[in-house]
Amino acid sequence: EMMGVTYFMLNHSRKEAEYCMENAFNTYLKNVPAGHQNATRCGLWWIEMLKARDQYKEAASVYFHISGEESLHSAVMLEQASYCYLYSKPPMLRKYGFHLVLSGNQYKKCDQIKHAIRTYQRAISVFKGTTWSYIKDHVHFHVGQWYAFLGLYDAAVVHMLEVLMCAHQSKTTQELFLKNFLHFVQKAGKACEVLKLPLPIINASSLKVVFEDHRTYASPAAIGVRESLWRSFEEEVIPSLPTARTNWLEVQSKPISRKRKESNVCIVGEAIQVDVEFKNPLQISIPLTNVSLICELFERSDEAQTDASTSSELQNNEHINLTAERLMNFDKSSFALSDVDCTLESGSTTMVKLTVTPREEGILNIVGVKWRLSGSVVGCYNFLTTTMKKTATRKKKQKRSFTDNLKFEVIKSLPKLEGLIHTLPEKVYAGELRHLTLELSNMSEAAVKNLKMKISHPRFLNIGKAEHLKDIVVRKDSPLSWPLWFHAAVPGNISLYIVLYYEIEDAESFMKYRTLRMFYNLEVLPAIDVSFQISPLPSTLQKFLVRMDVASRTSLEDFQIHQLSSLGSQWEISLIDTLFHPPLLMSAQAFTCFLMLKRCEKPKGSDEVSSLTPCIGGDVKLSPNDDGESLYDISLSPLSDFHNCERLHQEKPSQGDSDTVDFVLISRRVHSESGSGVSYSPCLLSNHACHCSISSSSPISWAVEGPREIHHNFSASFCEVSLRMTLYNSSDAVASLRVNTLDSNQSGFLLSDSSAVLPTNQEGWYNVSLESEIKVTSDVRGTILNSLSSESIRPIIWSGSSSTKLQLEPSSTVQIPLQVCIFCPGTYDLSNYVVQWNLQWPIDQGNEETRPNSGTCPGYPYYITVLPSS
Amino acid sequence: MATTACFIIVSRNDIPIYEAEVGSTVKREDAAHLHQFILHAAQDIVQDLAWTTSAMFLKAIDRFNDLVVSVYVTAGHTRFMLLHDSRNDDGIKSFFQEVHELYIKTLLNPLYLPGSRITSSHFDTKVRALARKYL
Repeated sequence: EMMGVTYFMLNHSRKEAEYCMENAFNTYLKNVPAGHQNATRCGLWWIEMLKARDQYKEAASVYFHISGEESLHSAVMLEQASYCYLYSKPPMLRKYGFHLVLSGNQYKKCDQIKHAIRTYQRAISVFKGTTWSYIKDHVHFHVGQWYAFLGLYDAAVVHMLEVLMCAHQSKTTQELFLKNFLHFVQKAGKACEVLKLPLPIINASSLKVVFEDHRTYASPAAIGVRESLWRSFEEEVIPSLPTARTNWLEVQSKPISRKRKESNVCIVGEAIQVDVEFKNPLQISIPLTNVSLICELFERSDEAQTDASTSSELQNNEHINLTAERLMNFDKSSFALSDVDCTLESGSTTMVKLTVTPREEGILNIVGVKWRLSGSVVGCYNFLTTTMKKTATRKKKQKRSFTDNLKFEVIKSLPKLEGLIHTLPEKVYAGELRHLTLELSNMSEAAVKNLKMKISHPRFLNIGKAEHLKDIVVRKDSPLSWPLWFHAAVPGNISLYIVLYYEIEDAESFMKYRTLRMFYNLEVLPAIDVSFQISPLPSTLQKFLVRMDVASRTSLEDFQIHQLSSLGSQWEISLIDTLFHPPLLMSAQAFTCFLMLKRCEKPKGSDEVSSLTPCIGGDVKLSPNDDGESLYDISLSPLSDFHNCERLHQEKPSQGDSDTVDFVLISRRVHSESGSGVSYSPCLLSNHACHCSISSSSPISWAVEGPREIHHNFSASFCEVSLRMTLYNSSDAVASLRVNTLDSNQSGFLLSDSSAVLPTNQEGWYNVSLESEIKVTSDVRGTILNSLSSESIRPIIWSGSSSTKLQLEPSSTVQIPLQVCIFCPGTYDLSNYVVQWNLQWPIDQGNEETRPNSGTCPGYPYYITVLPSS
Repeated sequence: MATTACFIIVSRNDIPIYEAEVGSTVKREDAAHLHQFILHAAQDIVQDLAWTTSAMFLKAIDRFNDLVVSVYVTAGHTRFMLLHDSRNDDGIKSFFQEVHELYIKTLLNPLYLPGSRITSSHFDTKVRALARKYL
């Protein structure tokens, strides 16, 4: 040791000096019993030597070696080591901090709390803002504990606040921290003070404010719909703001100040709902009580003051303090706050709904939210301060910044309508008809008038005579019940939007009108599918065969078909088999029914008759006769209104056939035992099938008319029969027709069973001598053709023109004469003619391949019987 | 196999981006604090030493009682610091090299922001497996 010191004093051979000192030091420590003091002394010399040569790092390590076991001794040494690290160039701050912490630990061990705190405080400055979480927690926690030990609870609380957000620690540690924190707060007597607690985490961006000014909502579901959707929907109902200056004749409305236009408006006595998200990052659950909003309500004369204070650059800190002070002595009577209690589970996020209801007019500011943590500490969170930072950084002032949402202008009380549609089911079957009631009640003193209602889906909801709504005044004690008709037209998920506009009778108020927005969501299940196929009956013009296929698309209910009605230009419908009654439509089954559709004659002078007026016979009852139900009249509202909507919605077939018929099938749900989740009530279903086309594949149809049975004296002459053929063009184009009567392919037959073979392909003139060659006896059966077998003639020939060519306009009829000559009695089939048609479509219409252009139709059987007259 | 080992990856801004206790002893709360303190303090030494050599593996740079701090510095000055009580230099070097490869793969992920915490459980599993293998 002495050698080393002397080498140092000589100031040469550094290495030697160090070597000596090190040797001495080690020897003291190891070999000399109780040589610790000597080692310490030796070490201190060594350290001074190193320090003199600016070798602070080595000095620090020597200090470290000296530190040994005994707490106070090691504490002091470690502290000195830390200062050495600090002095080293470059300063080793982390080592400095670390050794301070170590020394602090040692101080604590020997109960030198104040020294421990002192060293730890120094260490805090090193570890400030570090992301090494365990380090930070350790330091703050211990300092906090030691302060508490000393009785300085205020400082303890400050430090404990730092460690509250310790999601990275284990569960027991979190509990420990929280428990200690609460304990210290209790001791510090800060339970009634409001602190800026970091726990729980409040997500300011999740803030949602719901208030009602001139837009009121009937249910929380209505609030959830986007504002832009409501706005565009309400456009027609709300009167637009007058942009031109009103003249002096009209009542002057109060000049609307600029401030008023920008801030939100709310009404005295109506609640503003604020939704805030609370998050608990810890693994332990946190009980929260007394969660409520922090609000301020100013009189309107204070407007100028608040303007000045909020628009200038406000120090964030000032504002926090302002709030904290205000909270303690706040006049709470001007608004009512809601109080919510909740427990946040570990790691959970909860949406807390808070309300504030202003009771006086003025300017209302929602400042923040406060809560009580674990029943002891009150924490608060200021909405404005966090957002002020955001808005300061933005260069362009946005139209509506976050804070604007929290400022309200409270105006005096206005009436508010509450509306509810009772009995609107959530699940219905497609086609169901229901009678609903809209109930409107006015809870306030003033009355409302001039109601207007708009429905988004008139196909589903029919409000009857809407004009009468205007004359109604709804007062406090007289609620209004308005009947509604509901028809579930198509399956699927349907959202119904209803807006009710009403005006306030009191002309002085700032707000002249309000709207009530209602939103309902319902699910329509598929029930009955019905399809129609119509084909014209051959050889007739006015009769059509209708094939109706009814299928049940649900497996849970049974239906009974009640009636089928036809609408549109005088139709008559009847069952082909009048004894047939469609069976009960069981679940997931189908049946087919055939009906006859006949076109009625239009009564003369009926130009103004609406095409939807059914004529007698337009309905056919399909249910068993014994159920005692009568037919429903489909010309009455609401069925007719719903049908009109269906006509608009169901597309017309692209061919644009003007001749269509509409069908309405009314059925009834039969009570079934299985519960299907749909509320049971004896209900009707109506299925509307519109624009059923009655055209056939061929656009030309015809009918042959004439006598069917003739008595003729064949001894006098042959029989000439005149027939009429009426042709009808059901297409949209001009048709050129050719009716060729063919004498070939005679398919008639004689009443005799003669074996004479009628020749085919015989055309031309031939001499027919009647008297001699044909013997007509009274016995028709025995008529024989004689001696004509070699040169046989046909007993019937077409004697009119063999080919008639004509043009037929669209949707028009024409009559052509036909003539046959019959030479001997019998029953003949006059089907040996063909009708060739050619449609001439206008050139500019495309898509000609899909349209029929031409065709040939053979003739229908037409039987004529000629009997000899005696 | 080291009985105590604490492995931390520190970014160039002195922010720990990955921590793992890879020793075979049961983890103790206060031990975790101590390890963090030691490694945090060792950074002072690393900062100076890293510029003096071009090697990546800096071997044992600091000691505390019987615990040794070994450091491996990447090209972007991300430090892999291992606190251990064994003397297995080769094993530690191989461990660092393997972890370096894993780290490069993490950096290649375009969705990973360099300097942010590594939260991939795959990375964590692999590091622990490597620790068992080499340490």
